[in-house]
Amino acid sequence: MDPELPEEIRILQKTVRQFVENELAPHEREIEERNEIPRAVIDAMAGAGLFGIGHDERWGGQGFGKLGYCVAIEQAGRANASLWNVIGASAGLCGTAIEIGGPDEVRERYLPRIFAGEMLGAYALSEPGAGSDAGSLKTAARKQGGEYVIEGFKTFITNAPIADVFVVFANVAPDRGSKGITAFVVERGTEGLTVGPNDEKMGLHGSTTAQLFFSGMRVPAANRVGEEGQGFRIALGTLDVGRLGLAAHSVGIAQRLLEASARYAKTRVQFGKPIAVNQGIQWMLADGATEIHAARLMVYDAAARADKGERITQRAAMTKLFATEMLGRVADAAVQIHGGMGYMRELWIERAYRDARITRIYEGTSEVQRMVIAGGLLEDA
Amino acid sequence: MKFLVCLKQVPDSTVRVKVGGDRRSIAAEGITWSISPYDEYAIELALERKDADASTVVSVVTVGPARSRDALRQALAMGCDDATLVTSEADLSALDVAKALAAVVNEAKPDVVLCGKQASDDDQGLVGPALAEALGWPHVGMLTKLVPGASGLELWREVEGGHEVWSAAPPVVALVHKSEKEPRYPSLPGIMKAKRKEIPEKDLASCGVTPGAPRPEVALMDLPPQRGQGKVWKLDGDAKGVAEQVAKALREEAKVV
Ligand SMILES: Cc1cc2nc3c(=O)[nH]c(=O)nc-3n(C[C@H](O)[C@H](O)[C@H](O)COP(=O)(O)OP(=O)(O)OC[C@H]3O[C@@H](n4cnc5c(N)ncnc54)[C@H](O)[C@@H]3O)c2cc1C
Repeated sequence: MDPELPEEIRILQKTVRQFVENELAPHEREIEERNEIPRAVIDAMAGAGLFGIGHDERWGGQGFGKLGYCVAIEQAGRANASLWNVIGASAGLCGTAIEIGGPDEVRERYLPRIFAGEMLGAYALSEPGAGSDAGSLKTAARKQGGEYVIEGFKTFITNAPIADVFVVFANVAPDRGSKGITAFVVERGTEGLTVGPNDEKMGLHGSTTAQLFFSGMRVPAANRVGEEGQGFRIALGTLDVGRLGLAAHSVGIAQRLLEASARYAKTRVQFGKPIAVNQGIQWMLADGATEIHAARLMVYDAAARADKGERITQRAAMTKLFATEMLGRVADAAVQIHGGMGYMRELWIERAYRDARITRIYEGTSEVQRMVIAGGLLEDA
Repeated sequence: MKFLVCLKQVPDSTVRVKVGGDRRSIAAEGITWSISPYDEYAIELALERKDADASTVVSVVTVGPARSRDALRQALAMGCDDATLVTSEADLSALDVAKALAAVVNEAKPDVVLCGKQASDDDQGLVGPALAEALGWPHVGMLTKLVPGASGLELWREVEGGHEVWSAAPPVVALVHKSEKEPRYPSLPGIMKAKRKEIPEKDLASCGVTPGAPRPEVALMDLPPQRGQGKVWKLDGDAKGVAEQVAKALREEAKVV
């Protein structure tokens, strides 16, 4: 791996950083306090091309590959985590599922609009009874002529309250277990689709999450993503990309927390000197810097390999596991270094601390990542 | 109309500059490099002409070390059409840079050459006027706006307390002070388009320049002295009483009024 980023990705990095700092970060407090992302902010992110960064130009993406995607997401970590969450669920998950699954006819119909940010997507895999064990999902699809009739429900679906399209995973042959899982594109307004109220969450304020209910919901067979029974493979392939994105985002958030902590430590005076002169504080900063560096290299390595066409399931799991747990430690240290101010709503530190917590849960908990890593390890042993 | 914007790559304005071990230059390691801010305004002014009239061509050129290629790529990503790099690893005098630029101008034959009014690293502001002199072209400083007018170009310049409008028939060299709008970000498709463009490279010899024009040398570089600790006065009383105490303290203790 070349540790130096290619020229165009360095320009992308700088451009996204400027955009995030000048156009997104000023809305930070408003988004958190109102628990709402102004539509104009979503439109600005769309206008800047953020929805299409890592996706193929053939489908309306910007063509920066997964390395460019990760470098950009890292910079997006310098504003509310909820902002990237909207893009991640829409283009990163819903878009990627369609991009992986196809066919071209479905890709053409949806991807250019999703990658332009004109259409918002959601990815509906989890169910009340199927979280970590997503393969056991119960939503059922029955073929009837040129349509599928879908019954069931989904839970914790990011963007559900605002999405225009959903990729829904349902089982067409429950007796075949996860091999019966099939993916469909469902448009908002489809008869039989009900979106529940926006869930109240610990963090990620501004990003929306809700349940979906399907009752006799008819979906044209032309909206099937991939073949019958390929859904679980598509879901997992999508999560490889999603996990990489979450890891990159964690690196960016941790970097910003570290910078803020170092600045605060240099200016906060106790016992007559800045708290930064104490080794106890310095070690927290040093450990954070070291772990961020390691996580960043893991992200860039996995992304560069994905761009070469390598299968990165194991690496994506390791990277997501390490980067999100690292973020937990860095966010905790940031609150500690800021002392009482770290606990106050007045600063963004406590928000980042709450926002960080979800990264160890969604798109596979830390335990699930370890299952994936160990599974691959034992298979090869 | 054809524009040529001359730019320089300088340490980014967010970089915390440290003095190097020789105490005559800055420590180069870990520096992020960017297009000098006044040059970015120049690019913005030229690109605004291109927005208004798609037949406009905006070229960029720099004379500098190989790393300057990044700055040219950035300009292409912002929307410039083509770029030329004149490589020189050695730090050149303003006069040598102007001579090399003149060679590029003579080849490219632009109608308007725009430079930032000064580069944010050494703030000398010499290259632009020297280039106009080398070319024998008219020179306008402190440019803030540029529009086609009846007799060539209307060149708006900032002056104390207002502005002036000058006019000039191309070719002309203008030094940019500011653009009305902040310089644009590169668009993401713009970055991809820029990636695919070749940036031809020249050396000083092919520009007919043998460096060595007389120049002053930097004798010493130093950071400003550390600011002392602030002082907190505990003052009581009404506004008038407090103001009197502050005025007294400023006169007698701080000795600033
Ligand atoms: C804010 C938010 C947004 C979300 N967005 C989406 C979305 O857009 N689309 C979507 O499909 N889903 C989404 N989810 C769902 C998310 O992916 C799941 O919550 C997650 O996969 C965990 O599932 P669960 O909540 O059912 O926990 P469970 O699976 O019930 O896990 C509970 C605990 O048991 C542990 N555990 C489970 N199995 C094992 C095991 N075998 N070994 C050891 N430990 C185990 C888990 O690690 C965890 O600690 C979202 C969730 C949240 C909170």
